Amino acid sequence: MMADLMLEVKNLSGGYDDLIIVKNISLNVYSGQVVSVTGRNGVGKSTLMKLISGSLKLSGGTVFVLNQDVRSIAKHKRLKMGVSYAPQESIVFDELSLEENLTLHYEGTDLASYDEVFKYFPRLKERLGQRAGTLSGGEKKLLSFSRVIAEPTKMVLLDEPTEGVQSDNIELMAEIIIKEKAKGRGFLIVDQNLTFLERFNDVIHLMDHGEAIFKMEGLMFREDIEERITI
Amino acid sequence: MEALITFVLNFIYSSATLALIVLGLAMVFGLLGVMNMAHGEFVMLGAYSAYVVQSLGLNFIWAIPISILVCVVVGWLMEWTIIRHLYNRPFDTLLATWGVAILIRKGIEAIFSRDYKSVDQVMPGTIDILGITYPSYRLILIAIIIFLFVTLFAWYQKSKTGLRIRAMVQNPGLASAVGIDTSRLSTVTFIIGVSFAGLAGVLLAPLVRVEPYIGLDYLLSSFFILIVGGLGTLEGLLIGSAVIGGSDALISTIFDKTAGYLSVLLLSILFLWLRPDGIYSRR
Repeated sequence: MMADLMLEVKNLSGGYDDLIIVKNISLNVYSGQVVSVTGRNGVGKSTLMKLISGSLKLSGGTVFVLNQDVRSIAKHKRLKMGVSYAPQESIVFDELSLEENLTLHYEGTDLASYDEVFKYFPRLKERLGQRAGTLSGGEKKLLSFSRVIAEPTKMVLLDEPTEGVQSDNIELMAEIIIKEKAKGRGFLIVDQNLTFLERFNDVIHLMDHGEAIFKMEGLMFREDIEERITI
Repeated sequence: MEALITFVLNFIYSSATLALIVLGLAMVFGLLGVMNMAHGEFVMLGAYSAYVVQSLGLNFIWAIPISILVCVVVGWLMEWTIIRHLYNRPFDTLLATWGVAILIRKGIEAIFSRDYKSVDQVMPGTIDILGITYPSYRLILIAIIIFLFVTLFAWYQKSKTGLRIRAMVQNPGLASAVGIDTSRLSTVTFIIGVSFAGLAGVLLAPLVRVEPYIGLDYLLSSFFILIVGGLGTLEGLLIGSAVIGGSDALISTIFDKTAGYLSVLLLSILFLWLRPDGIYSRR
């Protein structure tokens, strides 16, 4: 039996106003699957994530989440529908404390849903009262990652989660993703760290000039991807 | 000595009322980036609510819920039909809200005519304090204003809605990504801002002449305060109110009202010229 389809992107195009950056991309993410997207800087990976998350309007194509067309659904309603999104930039609320960053979208201030991730990143728990703006770039990434992991969603969108993160913490992130994947969550991850992606990847897409130019399955893709990426 | 105490109380009184008047404007500008030219008209609507309540023979206290109701309805309509389409377009908002200001002014003029209305003193009489006699309503007003500021500040810092507003102001994109309905929150913020203006109108109504054009004076003095104090912070608002209120009170005591107003204008010009970001700028 085929696993449930968490995210279905068909012939997606879009960008900023009249400037089309992402062209005709299609991809599927099934339950318990990690789909990765990689490529050089500036090829439209983040734009793709912004289009899928509802931060930008599509100019063509469709996005279905759990078999529901989300094109006309406002961005703030998508979390409740079951999609978490950790953007690449401006990823935390700098002026708010870590605790506020983790709880502002819930009722109350209970941090129980974070018990699991705090086991991996105890430093975050120790610094809950601190302003998020005082964290380093990599620590902010961990905070943002912790938030989406703890959200009770079936589909997770991660945009460059390892950028600036220390290597031992990258390994912990990979462990968490493997664990969550086993629970049936679907992941769409944009990243340039192939070693990280090779820990759990199911399907990888290589993007260039806004298009998906190459697709591979499995964990051993490094050589094939690197060969096509170096220009 | 007595003259000094009177002066100090007058200074606190005029700074406090100015701070209350400018609060809504500063909130809407600081949090939403909207310069609401109709701000003074909400103060005016509040004052007229007090007038209507009194002419119906109701207790003055009713003016508070009624003015808030009026401001919520008018503010919501204004945000829904006009403001929300113009976020991040400062000049367009300026023109549009100026248009709304004229509409509200003329609307009130059509209903109540241009005549001055007077709202009766709610608490006539005086209180002996620190060896002088001072109007009791003024003292009560100072206490109410301090209470309102403390409550609003605590709410903004401690409540979930205050937290979400702070998050939205810092990073609207991330706020909607974590499930916060930023457009609804903006509406709420705008409505709270104009409701404070209405509340200011009610509280000041017994002390001023009530007519359709009073909003202009309040808008002007609000601008002076924001110019001197600096935009976008509570500290700037309080400092600006103290400087403007203080120079007005001081010069008016020594010379007369006109000289007091002149000093306010002069201060504002000097600040625009030499220190355009104000005393307490967030930059």
